[in-house]
Amino acid sequence: MGLVVLALAAGFLGYSLTVGGVGGKPGGYDVTAKFGQVGSLAPGASVSVAGVKVGTVSQITLDPKSYLAVAKLTLDPTVKLPADSTAKITSDSLLGGVHVAIAPGGSTEDLKAGGEIENTQGAVDLFGLIGSVMRPQGDAAASGDAASAKTPAADATVAPDSY
Amino acid sequence: MVAASGGVPAFFRPARVIGRSTLAALRMVGGVAVFAVRGVVACFTPRWFPIQLLRQLIAIGFFSLPVVGLTAVFTGAALALNIYTGGGRFNAEQVMPQIVALGITRELGPVLAALMLAGRVSAAIAAEIGAMRATEQIDAMRTLSTDPFRYLVAPRLTAAVLALPLLTAVADIIGVAGGWLVAVRILDFNPTVYVRNTVSFIQGWDIGSGLIKAAVFGFIVALMGCYHGYNAKGGARGVGRATTHAVVSSAILIFASDYLLTTLFTAA
Repeated sequence: MGLVVLALAAGFLGYSLTVGGVGGKPGGYDVTAKFGQVGSLAPGASVSVAGVKVGTVSQITLDPKSYLAVAKLTLDPTVKLPADSTAKITSDSLLGGVHVAIAPGGSTEDLKAGGEIENTQGAVDLFGLIGSVMRPQGDAAASGDAASAKTPAADATVAPDSY
Repeated sequence: MVAASGGVPAFFRPARVIGRSTLAALRMVGGVAVFAVRGVVACFTPRWFPIQLLRQLIAIGFFSLPVVGLTAVFTGAALALNIYTGGGRFNAEQVMPQIVALGITRELGPVLAALMLAGRVSAAIAAEIGAMRATEQIDAMRTLSTDPFRYLVAPRLTAAVLALPLLTAVADIIGVAGGWLVAVRILDFNPTVYVRNTVSFIQGWDIGSGLIKAAVFGFIVALMGCYHGYNAKGGARGVGRATTHAVVSSAILIFASDYLLTTLFTAA
């Protein structure tokens, strides 16, 4: 019995190391995509086309020259993507994780293994976005006194249009 | 009952009851501490009994594999289902492999392996040594100038400290495999992605800290078995009481030291 348990453990360990190791990944090809901002994107996040999962993010590194984040995407070999596809980092939900959504382009050439997705759109900094809405005046609101924020009714009615 | 002198039941003498139980507790702590020191000294000083050590390693380590493996596989599977359901409440099902792996390696692998060992090994040690005490074999051993600490206690302590980390390593692997099985068979995870997420997420320290815990738990399990067996009193009934005490006290000490060790590891 003990030997059976040991054999099972050794088998699963071997399987995990071959599959999870850095080396050959069976059934999948890698492409890279450079993003200005990856946000909370992490290895293991899914890659989808039209909401259908077609692969995972296998690695994220920083390009030391351009300071761009380089994400390595491992894609299902049955899915061929046009070379001019767009990769975009989007949120699963307001609180949940993020994933990479790929919008296929119109090119007749396919992305090859080791190729790069040129058109990318990085993660949106949600808190930066909220901050810019909350403080639309920027410097004026920050440096001016608190009373100036309580503008007359006339100003308040104009304000929404300026957003 | 005799202590309640003058015909007054013990119930009406709270100070005496408190005092007596406090003294008993202190005596117990002191006894265990002295026993532990003597046991550790016996482990590191000659004379050694390698045949005994090997026999204990096989009894404690190898024959515990099926129990530990079964516990681990079911725990991993249940953990995977629970985390999947709980994670679904805030759309975080995808991190399930990582949480399962973390939970198994840092906490459940060592603790569950140690608890199974407490039930299986601690009781067996207590019964064996307790029976030897009851039949005066330990005294006979001493008259033959064989130190029972070197011959009985040291091999068991060493074997448990060596075997439990190895058992925990097996439990870690089997536990993750259990989670993987459920994820792939029932929850429709991609097997390759699951394994890759686990492997790339787990760090050396996650496994290392679990193995250090396991070594400490192994010491506790063997120590409690030896202590209660060695100090068994009153024949067959005493042996039964010793086994019960060994299992209960090692389980409690495992949980208490688990918390202390985790505090230490997470602070570092």
